[in-house]
Amino acid sequence: MTNAEVITLLKKNPIGVGCGLLSLALVAGIYFRSGEVPAAEEELAQKSDEGSRLAANLQNAAQLKEQVDTLSACEKELDSRLVHASQTLTNYQYFYKLESDTGAKMTVITQAPVGAPAKNAVKSLFAGVPFAITVQGTMTQMIDYLRRLESGARYCRVMSVTCSVPAGDRGGVVTLALNLELLGQL
Amino acid sequence: MLSRLKKKSEASATPAIATWHPSFRNVERLPDTKVVRTAFFVNAAAITVALGLLTYFGVKEWELRSLKTQITDWQRQIDRDKAGSDKAIALYKKFQTQEARFQEVDTFMKSKPLVSDLIVRLAQTLPANIALDSFELRETGLALRLTVRGAPDAATGYATAYLEQLRTDKQFALFDQAGANGFAITNVQRNTTSGRLNVEFFLTLKTGKEAKK
Repeated sequence: MTNAEVITLLKKNPIGVGCGLLSLALVAGIYFRSGEVPAAEEELAQKSDEGSRLAANLQNAAQLKEQVDTLSACEKELDSRLVHASQTLTNYQYFYKLESDTGAKMTVITQAPVGAPAKNAVKSLFAGVPFAITVQGTMTQMIDYLRRLESGARYCRVMSVTCSVPAGDRGGVVTLALNLELLGQL
Repeated sequence: MLSRLKKKSEASATPAIATWHPSFRNVERLPDTKVVRTAFFVNAAAITVALGLLTYFGVKEWELRSLKTQITDWQRQIDRDKAGSDKAIALYKKFQTQEARFQEVDTFMKSKPLVSDLIVRLAQTLPANIALDSFELRETGLALRLTVRGAPDAATGYATAYLEQLRTDKQFALFDQAGANGFAITNVQRNTTSGRLNVEFFLTLKTGKEAKK
């Protein structure tokens, strides 16, 4: 087929040729842009996830500022209630204050060194500072002493306690031997 | 009839010579004489294919445009929320740090029973014919030494009833109230001087998972 014949054919079938050329162009366009839609869908999924996450962050943080402020204020109080293992005399002062407030008689007070954390233990933010105390007094004084100790200015947990009541004199002096820990700064 | 057959045989006997004449037809230029021209079908097919492809292409382009619009909207929202979200994340990290400290204090305080509460509860619940001689809280549990007044047979009954009373007391929930040996009488002795019964209870503390229930 010569060029002249091709031109003649084209001139004779302008619609068919035009549509053919258009179809070819469209096929090429469809082929080359076939990856665009999946890519855009993926990008949209990613953006919508990120957008939703950010929106959820904002929604969940609606009262976070107030909560953090409240916790910050509480944290100051928490810090003020912690003891320091190195300040032994200050720590003893706390127990002497309890003694004078309750009228109980403290016969023994010893601060033991802070034990090393166990190898597999979860990393702790605080340390329990151990004390051994022996107190004497009436049962009322003992209960008062214990109450003040357990709900006092320092965080305290009693590890072990021995309380013996003299059999002959039940209303008399009671001896309380305590092993306790005050929560302290690391 | 015979004559007809004869005529036919004569005709077939003559040699078939094609009638020749020059063809002056220009096929290229002659019009298509079919009822519906072939070009119509060709054009219709071409137009249909082109339209189909155009529609498909258009739909895809519209879909792409729609996706891009949505992406732009999300991006605008992300740009708007990013700073606030970053700030919220930083705040939350601070909150978590603070919370961890409070959690640890809470765990510390709840890890052991409140001794003062236990003594007060014992004082409130102690029956009239039972006296508390000693109270010993250990790592594993609570040992109570008691003196029970009364005839030995009745005294053991009082002691058992008191132990069961403690077992059902909510104040002693930190101890193993459900276990068979959680609340046990570990020693019974008769005081020969006073005639009273010395009894020892041991209340086992719950451990690990039991304590968290």
